[in-house]
Amino acid sequence: MTPTEFLTELLIEKFDVPRESIRSDADLASLGIDSLSMIELVFDVEDEFDIQFPEDVEFKTLGEAVALIEQLIAEQGG
Amino acid sequence: MSGAPRRVFITGMGVVSPHGHDPNTMFERVYAGESAVRGVEVEEAAWHPDLIPLAPADFDPAEVIPRSRRMLMSRAAQFAVVAAEQALEGAGLLQDGQGPADAGVFIGCSLGGSEAIEDAYRLLYGKGRRPRPMTVPLTMANAPTAHISMGLGMRGPTMTYSMACASSAAAIGEAFRAIRDGYADRILAGGAEAMLSGSTVATWHLLRVLATGHPDGFHASSRPFDAARTGMVLGEGAAVLMLENEEAAARRGVEPLGEIVGYGAASDAHKLTEPHGEGQVQAMRAALGDAGLKPEAVAYVNAHATGTPAGDVVEIAALKETFGDHARALQISSTKAVHGHLIGCAGALESLITVQALAKGRLPPTANLTDPDPLCDLDCIPLQGREAPDAEYAISNSFAFGGSNAVLVFRRAGGRV
Repeated sequence: MTPTEFLTELLIEKFDVPRESIRSDADLASLGIDSLSMIELVFDVEDEFDIQFPEDVEFKTLGEAVALIEQLIAEQGG
Repeated sequence: MSGAPRRVFITGMGVVSPHGHDPNTMFERVYAGESAVRGVEVEEAAWHPDLIPLAPADFDPAEVIPRSRRMLMSRAAQFAVVAAEQALEGAGLLQDGQGPADAGVFIGCSLGGSEAIEDAYRLLYGKGRRPRPMTVPLTMANAPTAHISMGLGMRGPTMTYSMACASSAAAIGEAFRAIRDGYADRILAGGAEAMLSGSTVATWHLLRVLATGHPDGFHASSRPFDAARTGMVLGEGAAVLMLENEEAAARRGVEPLGEIVGYGAASDAHKLTEPHGEGQVQAMRAALGDAGLKPEAVAYVNAHATGTPAGDVVEIAALKETFGDHARALQISSTKAVHGHLIGCAGALESLITVQALAKGRLPPTANLTDPDPLCDLDCIPLQGREAPDAEYAISNSFAFGGSNAVLVFRRAGGRV
């Protein structure tokens, strides 16, 4: 599963985000992902791809999240 | 305290229970003596028999709570919000999915999210993996209270009471006092508990307080006051009462379902798990005194009696001491025979039963009481429920591990607002 596929499924299945509102430039906060949900989401992503997000990481949109995950996979060889 | 004491009415009720998820259905099944106890396969069964008699609430949160909210809620909190919504709706206080902003929320809970603690430990110690950060807000004992307040926009005081089996009786009693003494006009009060997870059930079993099976089947395992009783049966659920002061209820023109007229609390200062009559007597006397009632006024007692060999006898002796000659005229039942012991929700569920018993003029039985223990020689309403249209006052007892005792006094409503 690619990061885009995984995040899309996660947002739909776990966070009740409607499929039609999931776009690359969609702001995650506007999709209902608050700070607590974000911690949960990061955990799921880290477990799926065997990577670790840096402490000070920031991303706002789905596209930024996907780019970051791809970068971390490349760097950490996940 | 501000002004004269106010009367405290019950204007709504909500429940998620082993007997279904609305107050009326729950009461009728309890009144019919229908046992919700069954043999349940509990995971990690190395320390106990394959099947344990338990009283689960058949509840599928997926039907009522969206996944994104559920993720943040323990099972106990899920029960609590569903029961709370019901109570508000019944009271006519739910508007656009929100409750009254001025209302408080007082909930009793003993163990919070036991399944979340278990999940975290399983990951950490079982699989050597990191536990989920969400474990923190899932496991806290005040999470059910918080989710009711947040989800329903209720911004009065939110209090959580945790004293094992007396938790929700205390929550209701303290809410009653807060309203009576003018600190709040409306409080949603009750309890929530969901502790039927593997390690919790295993440790309760190892404490040797749980009932074993019975030759008639698991449904007959919980046997308060019976000579063949072997222990308690754990149950789960949430139960809440919408409490309003007389004026607030009258302004809305609502018909109260019942009234709380007294509350007493006292402690054994004795042993952690061994009940002690003195503290129970003290709590019952305090409750009757609080209500300004003579013992003779009480018609019905919803007993704490959990079906342990030691506890039921101590409660009967305490009732005799408290009520004197009138003890023989009391009609007493332990409905735990059919719904089990809901621990932090026990007092709340039994309050809903007691309120309805008075309102409907029908006293539920002690099911499975086929061979009464000679030491439990009061009228424990064996097997069959009874008509009691004249019963006006009732008490509900809750006596906890740790020696905390809480007693509530209820009065039939009778449309007096």
